[in-house]
Amino acid sequence: MTQLAAFKKMKELMTLYYIEAKTSTAKPVAWLTSGAPVEFVHAMDVIPVYPENYAAMCAASHQSVALMEAAEAAGFSQDICAYARTDFGQDLLRGGPAGGLPPPRFLVCSTNICKTVIKWYEAVARKHNAPLFLVDTPFLHDGLSRELVDYTVAQFHDLERFLSDQLKRPFDRDRLLEVIRMSQDATGLWRKILDLAKTMPAPLTSLDAFIHVAPIVTLRGTRPCVDYYQLLYEEVAERAARNIGAIPVERYRVLWDNLPIWFKMRYFEKLFEERKCALVTATYANSWGGITATQDVQTSDSIEALAVSYLNIYINFGFEERIRYLARLIDEFALTGFIMHSNRSCKPYSVGMYCLREEVSKLTGKPGVIIEADQNDPRVFSDTQVETRLDAFLESMTPLP
Amino acid sequence: MFAAFHESISDPFATVQKHHDRLGRPVIGVVPAYFPLELIHAAGGYPVQLWGAGGSIEHADACLQSYCCSVSRSLLELEMRGVTGMVAAYAFTSLCDTLVNLREVYRRRFDKPTVEFSIPASQGREARKAYLSTVIESVLKGLEAVTGRAVSGEAMRSSAALYGRIRFLQREIYRVRRQKPGVAKNGDFYAVLKAGFFLPPEDYEPLLDRLVAELEALPPRKGRRPRLVLSGMVFEPVGAFAVFDDVQADVVDDDFANGWRSAAKGALQVDDLAAGITDYVYNGAPCCCIYHPESDRHAYLVEKAKAADADGVLFWSIRFCEPDAFDRPQLSERLKQEGIPAVTLEMDLATGNFEPIKTRVEAFCEMIGGLEV
Repeated sequence: MTQLAAFKKMKELMTLYYIEAKTSTAKPVAWLTSGAPVEFVHAMDVIPVYPENYAAMCAASHQSVALMEAAEAAGFSQDICAYARTDFGQDLLRGGPAGGLPPPRFLVCSTNICKTVIKWYEAVARKHNAPLFLVDTPFLHDGLSRELVDYTVAQFHDLERFLSDQLKRPFDRDRLLEVIRMSQDATGLWRKILDLAKTMPAPLTSLDAFIHVAPIVTLRGTRPCVDYYQLLYEEVAERAARNIGAIPVERYRVLWDNLPIWFKMRYFEKLFEERKCALVTATYANSWGGITATQDVQTSDSIEALAVSYLNIYINFGFEERIRYLARLIDEFALTGFIMHSNRSCKPYSVGMYCLREEVSKLTGKPGVIIEADQNDPRVFSDTQVETRLDAFLESMTPLP
Repeated sequence: MFAAFHESISDPFATVQKHHDRLGRPVIGVVPAYFPLELIHAAGGYPVQLWGAGGSIEHADACLQSYCCSVSRSLLELEMRGVTGMVAAYAFTSLCDTLVNLREVYRRRFDKPTVEFSIPASQGREARKAYLSTVIESVLKGLEAVTGRAVSGEAMRSSAALYGRIRFLQREIYRVRRQKPGVAKNGDFYAVLKAGFFLPPEDYEPLLDRLVAELEALPPRKGRRPRLVLSGMVFEPVGAFAVFDDVQADVVDDDFANGWRSAAKGALQVDDLAAGITDYVYNGAPCCCIYHPESDRHAYLVEKAKAADADGVLFWSIRFCEPDAFDRPQLSERLKQEGIPAVTLEMDLATGNFEPIKTRVEAFCEMIGGLEV
């Protein structure tokens, strides 16, 4: 990965975060999905823990297979999401780089990333006998509407009551507004950092973004998260100003669609660098880029704005909007093509991908390739198949002048 | 007794075409699951339930990966091959991630209109009701655009009564089967339910009415065979159900989404449609696809197995159905804790060789015993 000085700070932040989550007796722990409105949880001084982030860490450190096998031995089918299987496995074996996650006092999940999380969190809730709060964010087949925002805001108010009941103290609305501001500051910085990759050569790649996304997933809504992204922004902006590219030679600039393949990060780094191909934007990393402009609903209310941001997530969009968004990225980042990861573990991202590729290529004139893999399960990954497809894709692209 | 049912499903789309030609109502293909058919009927449409099909997948492979369930892949295959040419529009439900995206695939690939019954998952009653009201309004508008007919209060009441009666009669045949196991062969029983997916309700209801009376009149069979409860999303491939007859096992009840979970729904209350549809979705039998913590599937399935005096539960699992697969390990464990043996059979809709299924069922029946002569 690109040698960034901020990396050390991020490692320190993440280590401290996991130590606190594992050892704190003063604060309760809640398990959250990556798209859950964590601001409410922070406002009540609860430590949010993210099984998705931990599952990714398990895969990146090549520990996911043993954990998934434990889940499979307990009856969970290989057909279900590999994040969930990794999570069930870490819970059974107390495994992974942090020796397992601390048990949840309660759970909060949101359907903006998938409906699978309902089933996953139901299973966890049953096992730990922990209450589950669900924030339902319906799929935006036809864009955002006032009704959808109202529905989400109403659930936020229910969430405030849930937290108050669980913690036996009144919900702290003032604190929530502070947390939302910090969350917006961090997501704003994150978006600015990702936008720096529009510079040619790109000062950081999407593979770097996949690493540096950890704090925005786990710590958004906190001061250290804002400070960290300020630091990272300054460093990346400096690289952009000095024309320092993340890879030595940039002949191709491409987009990555879908989750990373966590257990193959180094492999892809080498593969793309050798082929002079920079991954410069990724729909997954962009998902934490905060509130995107929407013509459908304009609001100055902080809670409504938060509802808009949690509804308005790429994989919660209808295809019309996804195609428009991908075409916009291809244009703004001056891309030569796009890669779509057909991810066995993520249906909302992957089902319909073949149609999307065809339409985006037609609209933009840029070639796209689909590689079949999985975010967390190395057992369904074939180096040969992926390399063959990527090489054919590279040949189909027109290199940068 | 069962000939009319078998006949209607032997070539389901010929059946649909025949009735479409006769009735002249626009055919609306209903994708799984729980879309209130009453709404379509009241709007002047001819609802046809599409729970997938057997046969090879050739065209749909260009759109959907092999890790999508065979229900979604076979539905797309039917449309791509033109088998469902008479379908004028599709009615989707936000049941799972695959079907939500499948609607988007249909919207990009085909010119046919689609409507979606977006099922709210929030447990906040006020939030849910307000959102559901907007969903119903959008569904009714979408249906009106297809049929050209606005839903009147009278039409709604009449359609709700008709479908309510059908589900009541289906529950009656389930009751008779529980009381007199083996009164219908397993293959015949599921042919009866499947016929209801394709026949117009006005034609299906009298057939069911007559069947209930005929089954009631039959004497119970002597002797006891292994008694099973089946649980899963779809009772397909329906041809496979003959294996239970071959091994002399009685399916005494089921927990299929297109079986009991649908039949268990009472008549739709239409005076307050949002309240009626909330009741329709959430009450009755729990489903792995409907988040409703007040209705625990574990206690429900244990109770169902005990009430049917079942010797075991067989999970009839269609591969790559995540909602079903997620629930299964804990459900199996709970059943075992209650002394109810459970086993899982995995398949897809294209499964044509039923011998492996037969072998597994036979082995399970031997394990659970249950034979009293």
